Parts: sequence; C-alpha cells; structure tokens
Amino acid sequence: MIQSIFYKEWLKLRIFWGLAVAVHIGMVAYILLSLRSTLMASGVVETWATMIGRDVLMVNRLMYVPLVTGVVLAICQWLPEMQQKRIRLTLHLPVDYTLSIGAMLMSSLAGLCLLFAMDAVVLAVVEQLWLPRELVWRTFLTCLPWYIGGLMGYNVASWCIVEPQWTMRCVNGLIGAPLVALCFLTAQPACYTTMLPWLALLLVAVVWLPFYSVYRFKQGKGL
Amino acid sequence: MMKVQSLKYVIIVLAVMVAAWLLPALYEIVFPRTGKMPFVVYSCLDSTFICFETQENKQVRYVDFRGQEFTKAEADSLLPLFSFRQLVAEGRLPDSLYGVALTPKLIQQNAFHFKTSPKQLNKPAVGLYTMFESASGNVDLVLPPDVFRLTDEGLEFIDCETNTVNRAKSLSFSRELAKHGFVFPVHLIWGNGTTRKDYDNGFLLTDSEDKLYQMKMVKGMPWVREILNEKISKCGNEKIGKWKQLFTLEPANRKLIGLVVSEDNRLFAVRSDGQLAEIGKNDQMVNDQMVNLLYDPQQMQISIVGDLFHWTITEYTVTDSRYYAVDANDFHLVAAETVPDPELPLSQRIERWILPIRLRFTSWQTQMVKPNINDD
Repeated sequence: MIQSIFYKEWLKLRIFWGLAVAVHIGMVAYILLSLRSTLMASGVVETWATMIGRDVLMVNRLMYVPLVTGVVLAICQWLPEMQQKRIRLTLHLPVDYTLSIGAMLMSSLAGLCLLFAMDAVVLAVVEQLWLPRELVWRTFLTCLPWYIGGLMGYNVASWCIVEPQWTMRCVNGLIGAPLVALCFLTAQPACYTTMLPWLALLLVAVVWLPFYSVYRFKQGKGL
Repeated sequence: MMKVQSLKYVIIVLAVMVAAWLLPALYEIVFPRTGKMPFVVYSCLDSTFICFETQENKQVRYVDFRGQEFTKAEADSLLPLFSFRQLVAEGRLPDSLYGVALTPKLIQQNAFHFKTSPKQLNKPAVGLYTMFESASGNVDLVLPPDVFRLTDEGLEFIDCETNTVNRAKSLSFSRELAKHGFVFPVHLIWGNGTTRKDYDNGFLLTDSEDKLYQMKMVKGMPWVREILNEKISKCGNEKIGKWKQLFTLEPANRKLIGLVVSEDNRLFAVRSDGQLAEIGKNDQMVNDQMVNLLYDPQQMQISIVGDLFHWTITEYTVTDSRYYAVDANDFHLVAAETVPDPELPLSQRIERWILPIRLRFTSWQTQMVKPNINDD
C-alpha cells in the first residue's frame, strides 16, 4: 500500500521533479560558471583574496532557490488534493492515515534532501578544483541553513495548504513564515554554525505539523 | 507514537517562540531606539575630554565632562593636533607644543586611529591568511601568489593558481618558527590581509604555550621574533596571563607592531622594538581614584584616536562608556572618565514590562546567528 502511495506521488509530481532538477542543475551550473569567469577575469589570487578578506562566497544567488522549490513542491503536491478533495480517498484507504500521509510527506522530503544533496555535492566537487578546502567547507556551511529553510518551507506550506479552515490557515502562516525566515536572517558566510542545532530541532518540530492539519480535516473542520 | 492531537502543544510552543521574537522587533520599529554616543577627544592643553555631541538639528555641540561649552573655534584651539587642518587654514597652528616643533607632516604621521567591536571579532574565521612581502622595496603592497593555513604541525602555503601545497615554503616557515621555540599548533593569529596599508608588519601569533611572536616574510624568507621573553614577561610584579586577542597594526609612524589583550583584559602595545608596554596602567590616582584600563574584546567596542602626545581610548560597554587618555610614548594613564548609560527611556521600560521574554537571533556583539533571551 505504502509503495502504491509512493508510486502515486511519483506520477503526480514527476513533472515537478523534472523541472526542479533542471532548475537546480541550472542554478548550480550558473554559480560555478560565474565563479570560473571571475577567477579567469579577475585572477585567481585576487578572487581568493576577495573571498578570504571580504567574506564573499559568490553563492548568494542560490539563497532562496531551496525555499522556492520546497514551497512549490508543497503547492503541487497538496493543492490538487485539497481542491479536488482527493485527500478524502487517501484518508479512506485501509491504512492508518498517519502512515499514508507520512508516506506522502516523507517521499517529498526525501526527494528534496536528494535534490539539495545533489546541489551541495556538485558545488563542493567542482569548487574544490579551484578553491582551498576551507572556502569549500565555508560555502557548504553558508548554504546549509538555506537548504534547511527549503525543507521547513515545504513543511510549513503543506501545513497551511492541508489546513481545512481559512482562519487557521492564516494563523499557521503567521507562525510558520517567521520560522522559515529564521533560516534567512543573514547571508554572511558560515554565521549559522551555532544556530544549526536549533534549526535542526525546529525542523524536527515542523515536520509533524501537516499531520495536525490532516487530523483537523478528518475531524471535519471547515466543512 | 505521539498522538496527533498533542501536536497542538508543539504549535503553541512555536507560536510563543515566534511572538517572543517578533513582538519586540515590531515594538522596536514603532519605538526606535535612539541615543548617539558623543565623539570624545582628550585635550592636552586643557587636560580634559572634549565631547563632540551631534544635536537633533545636526549642529555639533562642544562640551567637556564638567559641562563647560565651547565654540567650534575654541574646541579647535583646545585640540590643535586633532583640528590641525582647520588651524593651518586659519593660520592658527601653534609653532610648537611641549617643546616639539609642530608641522602638519609630523602631526599627520603620528595620527593613529583604531576601532573594533565584538561584532567584528566574533565571526567565523576563514582559516586562510595572506603573507605579504614586507621588504619588496616597492611602495605599494602586492598580493602574494599564495595563502597559508594553520595545521597542527606548522603552516601550509597553498599556491592559488594550482591549488596545491607549496611544501618547500611551508617547511621553511614552520622550521623558522620552531627554531625560535614556537610550539605548534598556532593558538591565536592576527594579520591585516589587505593591500590598503602603507607597509606590512606581518602577523602576531601565539603558540600552544601562549608565547607571543611576530612573523613576516622578508625578501621571500621567513622572519620571526619572540615578543614576550623572560625579561618582560612580568609587568610590574604581576605575571601576564594568557593572551586572548591580538591585533597587528601598521601605523604611519611605525612605532607599533600591534595591540594585544591578556586573558585578564589588560591591553598592551607591542612596540616596534619588540617590547611590550601596558596601556593605561595607573601608578597614581586619576580624578581621585585608582583606575586601570581594562578591555574585554568580546564585550566592549573600542576606539583609539591617537596623536603625537596622547591617545584617547573610548570603550562602550553594556552599562557605560569609558574614556581614557594615555601618554602616547609610555602609555601611562593620564585621565579617565566613566559615564554611565542614561536611564532607559520610558518606551524601553514599558517594553520590558509588557514583553518580559524578548528573543533575538542577531546581536550587536556577534555576527553569529544564535538565540539570545533578553539580550538588549
């Protein structure tokens, strides 16, 4: 049953995933090509000096890409379910709804994690050809809160979309949006290092929130 | 498994957290915090601090801590070394002061500015450093073709073009340090990795035993000397503890290599001859009280405005502003004033009452993002 849910999600979201992979590959390629062009135009010594002395990493264009991906995924996954009330069918399957909804959420989260890991690995593998490991690691630490923001954005958007009542949807948004914004307070390199455990904790808390909206839906709220 | 209904408690906790963060931020937008710190310079002629207070109408008020007000012309006269350009333009620059013939060049050469804050220091280090050629013979500094990192065994120079380690250079610098008794790994290091300076003093660094060294590159070769040796490891009768902060400086008069701060917050100047001198050490009473300059780089913002005869050192702490004047040659304390911060404005007192828990993730003390409760 759970495998069927995964398959259903794949059929529903395959176009999204195709586009998301294309956008992420394009964005990472753009960032790497920009870095290469800067290294060639300004000189390697000058570029390293700027990156070391002026706290510049040239990955800022990637900042909101994971967040947009997460939110668009939540819209693509849950909006049709809610508009066409397809979610009722899922809730009537002969499995516990936490399992079926959990499978839907987990399939998307796993997909996002894979996508973000692909970004990070490609960035790191290519950058280490041109940059010392300290700058590569710093780039990873700088991007990490943005990826956590992408995962939180997906969960918060799912929490809001699945919520059956408009008033509660707004309340969820008022609570959830600042939580996501916590991942984007600064683009200064590696400044989230001390915050990462707290963001991880928040992510663990936020992952469960869509279940509460589904629970309220099951209770018949908003009908 | 956790019951789904109980998730409402998670939501309540998250809502409280968001409220504790956003409400104080919104309150601060509605009731912005004002309060400008005056710019303060010590007048060697009047033996007093002169404050430059910018009024709401943008006019500058010149006043000392006794409340005596001055006109701009009077303030310029009382601060001949600070306002020398104005005095030269008006033909009022004294010929000499304390037996020293004054020339604009001499004044300019001895003018010294240094400013830093906890926010500038409390940030993640890159771990890569630029070693300039200190004796190239050229006026302008040129970026070297490599940077270096610190390892447990020494320094490792990385060639920028090939992104590979230059073993010969790494070995040469590591061996030179070891030859001078340096015990790796490096504990603290500070250098100014910018070409926007007149010359290069290299790096101040401490080893794993907290011994202080200066290291630079002269004609492509390592140049190392120990700053704190047996003879000067005691200042007065007190032994200097560990070092907690180093600053390498390149002042125009070339009299200093840097400033260093000990674990017990005492500030030392590193003279160009490699000797240490404690700044603001007080052997006598100043303003009828014993005051010693203490500087905690993690907690205080500091600014130093130096001239031929004195340095004015301003420290901003969370509770007060401290002003010190020290002799520019032997660094003994000449004058000191502590001005407590004014009482909190009504809007802030109300804020503390209606918003007892104020959560912040950014701070004036650090660039790191982290949760702070009631850290105003």
